[in-house]
Amino acid sequence: QVSELVQFLLLKDQKKIPIKRADMLKTVIREYRDAYSEIVNKAGKTLQEVFGLQLVEIDSKRHTYILINNEPRAESKYLCRDKEKEKMGLLLIILSFIFMKGNSVKDSALWEFLHLLRVYPGKEHQVFGDVRKLVTEEFVRQKYLEITPIPLTDPPEFKYQWGPRAEKEISKKDVLNAVAKIQGKDPTFWASQYSEAQATR
Amino acid sequence: ENREAMLNSRSNRLTEALEEANALFDGVCRAREAALDAQFLVLASNIGKEKASELHSEMSAFDSTAFAEDLLTFMGINRIEEADDSEDDQSGFLPRDAWKKMGEEAVKYFKRAPVFHYMLGSFKSEPTVPKQRIERQKKASRGKAEQAMPAQLKKMEESHQEATEKEVERILGILQTHFENDPDTPISFFDFVIDPNSFARTVENMFHVSFLIRDGLARIKLDEDELPVIEPTKPSGGGEEESRAGARNQVIIRLDQREWK
Repeated sequence: QVSELVQFLLLKDQKKIPIKRADMLKTVIREYRDAYSEIVNKAGKTLQEVFGLQLVEIDSKRHTYILINNEPRAESKYLCRDKEKEKMGLLLIILSFIFMKGNSVKDSALWEFLHLLRVYPGKEHQVFGDVRKLVTEEFVRQKYLEITPIPLTDPPEFKYQWGPRAEKEISKKDVLNAVAKIQGKDPTFWASQYSEAQATR
Repeated sequence: ENREAMLNSRSNRLTEALEEANALFDGVCRAREAALDAQFLVLASNIGKEKASELHSEMSAFDSTAFAEDLLTFMGINRIEEADDSEDDQSGFLPRDAWKKMGEEAVKYFKRAPVFHYMLGSFKSEPTVPKQRIERQKKASRGKAEQAMPAQLKKMEESHQEATEKEVERILGILQTHFENDPDTPISFFDFVIDPNSFARTVENMFHVSFLIRDGLARIKLDEDELPVIEPTKPSGGGEEESRAGARNQVIIRLDQREWK
């Protein structure tokens, strides 16, 4: 049962969409409902010991989980396809922008910024294709970003924030360091962001 | 409407609006007006919240334009000075691997679980076992196409008998496809049946091929190196001869695991 669950989790993680406990129960555990938490714990242990992955609950109300990488970052190249790398590049930039701007930005502000990088919501991008879809649908489904409407705005506007997966997979400190590296400055250059990054775990 | 004006930290427009609303509320006597007032309150508080957050980020001003410029530099932009690009506010040429470069840096920061894929079913690597036999063949190697076969033959479904029939059909299909692509060269029998990763599969493949031979759908002959080659029989023409030839031959092929290796 445990190994079945482990396989199920690894497969489900392919699309990076959070896994619902209900699905886990339905697909794998079936008759063993009572032993559910024990099985999940063991699966988590296996994932950690064999794969170096951590099973993390990102929503305790809806009981959804994701897998994150618990291994210290190896110096060697991270094994993933170019497509994935490119998306992560865009994502890092978006998350950085959001954080540096105070953890929440308006959609117009974000797209105005991306415009400077030759990324346009209305135009098919050479690398990303339908960027708007990637950002507002894929990244949101994967819980990297959270987009909420701003009430009573006409035409409707939205605010963009970090999603729960982003919170678990990357830290504000990392993001600040990335920004600092790219801009050739010390992270302490941005004092309030720096202190916020230090304060957050 | 005057959202932007109200957001301006130096402006007191929000406060003024609130005071005006307050004064107006005294005159309210209908429910609809009260609802409007409530709506206004929500709007005002949102703006207030935004103002507050802008205040926060203004403490350590973040220059997004500079950030964008630095990002482009990081991605390897080629900034050429061109006079006629002055209309276009974006001068410079981003290389094809710009985003890949960005991505390679980005992945270092994420604790992202590598995506898990099954290893079975995608035989991209060249098998080492049949290599010896291929060398002995003077004909060109049909490497890739044959490598695809083990992946296709992996699936076993339903009942055994159905499965056998399906397999036999599938193998015939593969054999015929090869021949469409390369009509004059029969395939080395061993190249065709050997699965470099599984002895059991190899035996099964031979089993299935034997059906094709029995039914006259394929033919085995010896090539100039005295090695068996297999080819599909043509549906038309020379029918009689083929069916006669296929009728009464019995061949025993012995293959044990060591030999297979």
